[in-house]
Amino acid sequence: MHRRTVIKNLALIIGGAAILPACHRIEGKVSVTLKNVDISADQEKLVSDIAETIIPKTTTPGARDLNLHLFVFKMLDDCYKKEDQQAFMTGMGQFTDAVKNKYDKPFSDLSQKQREDVLLSIENDKDEKCTANPKELKSFYGIVKNQTVNGYVKSKYFMTKQVVYELVPGRYNARFPYKQKQSA
Amino acid sequence: MANLNIDSVKDRTFDAIVIGSGMSGGWAAKELTDKGLKTLILERGRDVKHIKDYPTTNMYPWEFEHRGELPVAIKEANPIVNRCYAFGEDAAHFFVKDNDHPYVQEKPFDWIRGYQVGGKSLLWARQTQRWSEFDFEGPARDGFAVDWPIRYKDIAPWYSYVEKFAGISGNRDGIPELPDGEFLPAFPLNTVETYFSNHVKSKYSNRHVISARCAHLSKPNQIHLDQGRVQCQERILCQRGCPFGGYFSANASTIPWALKSGHATLRPFSVVQEIIYDEKKGKASGVRVIDTNTKEAIEYYADIIFVNAAALNTNLVLLNSTSHRFPNGLGNDSGVLGKYVAFHNYSAHIGAEYDGDKEWTTDGRNPAGGGYIPRFRNVYKQETDFLRGYASGFSAYRYQQRPWDGVGASLKDNLVKDNLSGWKVGSHMMGETIPKESNYVALDKALKDQWGIPQLKISVAYDDNDEKMKKDYVEQLTEMFTSAGFTNIKASTDNRAPGLDIHEMGGARMGNDPKTSVLNKWNQMHAVKNVFVTDGACMTSTSCQNPSLTYMAFTARAADYAVSEMKKGNI
Ligand SMILES: Cc1cc2nc3c(=O)[nH]c(=O)nc-3n(C[C@H](O)[C@H](O)[C@H](O)COP(=O)(O)OP(=O)(O)OC[C@H]3O[C@@H](n4cnc5c(N)ncnc54)[C@H](O)[C@@H]3O)c2cc1C
Ligand code: SF4
Repeated sequence: MHRRTVIKNLALIIGGAAILPACHRIEGKVSVTLKNVDISADQEKLVSDIAETIIPKTTTPGARDLNLHLFVFKMLDDCYKKEDQQAFMTGMGQFTDAVKNKYDKPFSDLSQKQREDVLLSIENDKDEKCTANPKELKSFYGIVKNQTVNGYVKSKYFMTKQVVYELVPGRYNARFPYKQKQSA
Repeated sequence: MANLNIDSVKDRTFDAIVIGSGMSGGWAAKELTDKGLKTLILERGRDVKHIKDYPTTNMYPWEFEHRGELPVAIKEANPIVNRCYAFGEDAAHFFVKDNDHPYVQEKPFDWIRGYQVGGKSLLWARQTQRWSEFDFEGPARDGFAVDWPIRYKDIAPWYSYVEKFAGISGNRDGIPELPDGEFLPAFPLNTVETYFSNHVKSKYSNRHVISARCAHLSKPNQIHLDQGRVQCQERILCQRGCPFGGYFSANASTIPWALKSGHATLRPFSVVQEIIYDEKKGKASGVRVIDTNTKEAIEYYADIIFVNAAALNTNLVLLNSTSHRFPNGLGNDSGVLGKYVAFHNYSAHIGAEYDGDKEWTTDGRNPAGGGYIPRFRNVYKQETDFLRGYASGFSAYRYQQRPWDGVGASLKDNLVKDNLSGWKVGSHMMGETIPKESNYVALDKALKDQWGIPQLKISVAYDDNDEKMKKDYVEQLTEMFTSAGFTNIKASTDNRAPGLDIHEMGGARMGNDPKTSVLNKWNQMHAVKNVFVTDGACMTSTSCQNPSLTYMAFTARAADYAVSEMKKGNI
């Protein structure tokens, strides 16, 4: 079943009222339709599951809480060339088939560990000549990965709660002591 | 058809007309209205009111639809302006899109423009340096172009004058080739910039790494508060327009100042098609504009006209202003109008790493961007196989390395880990180019824009001197970096077209001799005494300093002269 995905709430999530300053943002539901790519409900679910595997919910919100898969589609639709969009669609099919062949079930039915294994095996396949993973499959995964992380580190949640972004620093200290914090 | 309703002629008559409301036009408007002249400011683009018309200024990164990136459709439709580093999702609305005003590239030229009240002053990188005696004596000493009709002492008081009002931060460094000015406190060099500065000082007698001087209110004076501007808050989102008025733009400073005087009328959506020459009076009587909304032609009249449409558009307006007396463009008895166009050579960069000073970093952001290395080549005498020289930017920085590798909880952890890189250092060249007759702009004979005005044909290219200078920059900076103990030094050159430096100059150059120049030492047309050109078009040579401060100083000086001549009845 193919349908043109109507992405609800997207504008709200990523600040669609782009021309209005933050304080004047219109609350309420906004729908954004993809212009260039056709995404089915199943495909939307797949990308959402992959995004959640990349940025899982832990003690802090994950990809699904932040609707990052919708951001992936938005970026795919607007910020990638035709050929990249085509590779994404082809690669998404290859991904589904590859998972099916290997595990005999869809990605959504895999355990967290299996899902991570699937993604890492593609991500770690950096050899151009290696043909284990078709080039489109790698493009598909590359776009989902990059835009999920991009959407995450530029989300309001991340930029206000994790690594705080300052719009108005109001200072420049040219010589500031630095000692690396002990990481957990 | 021109609207010649006689009754309205009076309404369309002013003491002065300023063409263009950007960096230089804003200054003309301020100076002329300060002196009480009823002034009409004509601007081809829309109005951009300070703060009110800065739609993105307070937006957080997550509020941009594409988090700062421009959609492919916009990039592909705008290959030229897309090459400008500042053309992003936050500021694209202040740039001219490629198709809005096409031009003919006889040779590749990236013409980057801002058509709105404020022009490119909204978008600029705010780097401001005075020229020195070595720049004004350059053409005469080195035998190119024509001699500048002025020297540093003529312009120095006017630098002071505009610096005080605009607000320039910097140190008094005492370097003859980069004269000091009326400075607000400088933004300091950081640890590694300071290290490099000291190293260079100890190793080379005539090379300096100083705090970049920039048009930011590091500590405003009363005159800045009077403009409604306050202290710069180190946001470095300046290209969006600054709600604090922290940096100088026509929108935050000169234009509202002129309007407050009550003597100024600002007319946006008015593209000047030509300046009207009155054969009987032997001077310009006014201008003809096309209203960009109605396409109606309207004439405005004034005693004096300041042309500040930005260098190449000023050439276009003058070339298109033909009459029986001036068949080849207004004031073009010499035939040099449109010729001797030059620019700045920004086509080389160098990057490296520094292993020391790891206990130091920076906090907050530096609006000045780092350091500046004034020209050190061929200053006192010719010493290389190329003419003139280059200034260089220099900055050092560290960044959080947060690898995106992997998936899952470990990736999430990596994205917040404190893992500051070592110091990286970088520099880019800013080279002087030599004006030549063969680098020119002209009107295309066939193609017109949507208002029926001929398109500009641009024929400007690099030459052998530029190539040699580029090579020297790479060699010298590599040597300086090596001797400072920087490692992993990587120099790169690119094949960018001229124009991307956004410092295009010349075409209506100043000179002593009307046979070889268009303007006299007062930026006044030799042949049409009531027309003044004070933007980049007037420049006889280009120096390697950023040009805008010099346009401002020329404008204030010319306005002062024009009004005094007017009062004496000479124009
Ligand atoms: C990204 C960027 C970074 C820069 N960095 C620096 C820097 O660090 N230091 C520096 O010194 N300079 C810098 N510049 C260059 C600086 O912006 C220009 O030198 C300066 O704005 C030129 O002033 P101007 O008055 O000649 O032109 P503008 O500021 O461009 O103003 C010209 C105005 O005239 C209007 N106009 C044009 N044609 C007509 C017409 N026919 N009729 C009516 N109106 C017309 C235009 O719409 C425009 O508003 C930078 C520019 C950019 C874009
Ligand atoms: S750096 Fe200063 S001038 Fe620029 S946006 Fe920030 S506060 Fe404004």
